[in-house]
Amino acid sequence: MSASLIELRNVSKTYSTAAGDFVALTNINLNVDAAEFLGIVGKSGAGKSTLLNMINGVDQLSDGEVIVNSDPSGKKISVHAMGEDERALWRGKNMGVVYQSFQLLPMLTLVENIMLPMDLSDNFHPRRSKERAMELLKLVELEEHANKLPAFISGGQQQRVAIARALANDPPILVADEPTGSLDSITADHIFDVFEHLVSEQGKTIIMVTHDMGLSNRFSRALTITDGELLDAELDLNLDKTFRRRK
Amino acid sequence: MNAPRTKLKSNLPAQIDSTPEDMISLHGVVKTFSNAAGEFTVLKSVDLKINRGEFVSIVGKSGSGKSTLLNMVTGIDHPTDGLVVVNRTDIYTGVTESQRSKWRGKNLGIVFQFFQLLPMLTLLENVMLPMDYVDMYDFDERPARAMELLKLVGLEKFANKLPVLVSTGQQQLAAIARAMACDPPLLVADEPTGNLDSRTADTIIQLFESFVAQGKTIVMVTHDPSLTSRTHRNLIISDGELINESVSRALPQLRHRHMLEFTKLIQARAYHPHETILSREKHDDHFFIIRKGDVEVVLHDEQNREYALSDLRKDDFFGEAELTHSGKSIANVRAGNDPVEVVIISRADFIRVMNESPITAEAVGKTVQTKLETQRIADHRSK
Repeated sequence: MSASLIELRNVSKTYSTAAGDFVALTNINLNVDAAEFLGIVGKSGAGKSTLLNMINGVDQLSDGEVIVNSDPSGKKISVHAMGEDERALWRGKNMGVVYQSFQLLPMLTLVENIMLPMDLSDNFHPRRSKERAMELLKLVELEEHANKLPAFISGGQQQRVAIARALANDPPILVADEPTGSLDSITADHIFDVFEHLVSEQGKTIIMVTHDMGLSNRFSRALTITDGELLDAELDLNLDKTFRRRK
Repeated sequence: MNAPRTKLKSNLPAQIDSTPEDMISLHGVVKTFSNAAGEFTVLKSVDLKINRGEFVSIVGKSGSGKSTLLNMVTGIDHPTDGLVVVNRTDIYTGVTESQRSKWRGKNLGIVFQFFQLLPMLTLLENVMLPMDYVDMYDFDERPARAMELLKLVGLEKFANKLPVLVSTGQQQLAAIARAMACDPPLLVADEPTGNLDSRTADTIIQLFESFVAQGKTIVMVTHDPSLTSRTHRNLIISDGELINESVSRALPQLRHRHMLEFTKLIQARAYHPHETILSREKHDDHFFIIRKGDVEVVLHDEQNREYALSDLRKDDFFGEAELTHSGKSIANVRAGNDPVEVVIISRADFIRVMNESPITAEAVGKTVQTKLETQRIADHRSK
């Protein structure tokens, strides 16, 4: 069997604060396969955003390893071993990010917002970046609004544009932190439809964190995180701990 | 989605009434939205001037039109009718969307309640973005300039962090640094502190005050009274119309709808220096608010000697003692050494609104009591 797309091995994260050390993640082991739609569910403060920041290399782990096998050459990428600049470059090509509160630049049209990451990374010729931005708008069913400013579309539509923007550089992995957190349930459903399409039709891998337990059945796999520890993950490695916690 | 823009009013002067001191001037700006339920007019012929270097707040209830008004100034939305001149440019007549976008990049900084930082870029890169977009400053100069701006907002230590790794207050400070990236003369902010704790909000207002001290113009929509008290002018918008500033400053306790009613009823009067405005001999059934200049309230004793009771200034009111006590004027009121401009409301309208607005009636009543007391003491002295 080939290796998983993403492997976390004994990942821990401790923050030093004036009040002493704060352990945000303890000994996380997790494998994510290509074309999985993984949900990480947990309460506020459980460590779910921190975990996401370890996977996408936004934050530096304290201990352990994060390996990503997305390189076409088959080379394993050790995210934890890269410097900050190197991580930013790697992330730009390999990960799309979607947040609850980061929206679009208000003074740029929707199509310009999506072109921005392509222009910044120089991955596409300017003419091609416009074409690609239009294709992505079509994917999220907003092509007719391409030349509008964000102020003139709804919150749910803005989030769909943000997803299109996250896909601009065609990353194999999409990470989303509470992407439906500020949306009503019908609008949130549309976002899930887009995610499911990306997984089933394009083979993207999506990792999404949410506090909403009710969304668990929408993922191809859902894991629970509590007090910086993953439950149900990698039963073979964590069986004892999981068993104890469940009793 | 937008209502199509109709032709500009034909009766507008060919020469735009905008002086070099004006940073913003709006002439008869109308905004109508059309939807399935019909047409809805959000702005009803708004006229407004904002001078260079002014720090102006705009308040109004939800749906009053305050964000739409801001969108007219930023060029994010289009007026249905009227003229918008910002920094000497008529930003809608014969201007394409992309020309307006370039113009905006060089002339305007915009800050919103939610910060719109790009999550995949560091704070430094986010601040450099507008410079790249409008191609201002040499390529090599941009990082140093962005760093200076981050230093200004106290974030230089976090320059290389991604937005998720800093607090929401710090994200907003970075968004302000980004808004100032191309050194725009005008900063427009829509609820810039709406999402923040009071300490961070205070840091942001101090920052705004320092920009104003450097000559920038700032227009800010807010609902927070602790912020409006720190601006030069506070504009109130109610049901798509701007409230007369003399009315809102003189009678701040009035409900917005009553202020709007007065705004529509007021008439302007002007007086020469030392001209009598109210005399004890003549009835004048009006409530007066001073718009410009000083007025003197004086008494005469039996030998016709004059006693100055008080001086009233801009935004003070008078005439209410006569209105509420239905007697003769308690003193003579006349213009000071300079010309005086007032706005007046008729007795019937004033009494009607006071009856509907007990808080204002009480506040006006207290002022009357104080004046009557002063008059009684002075009267006594003059005998």
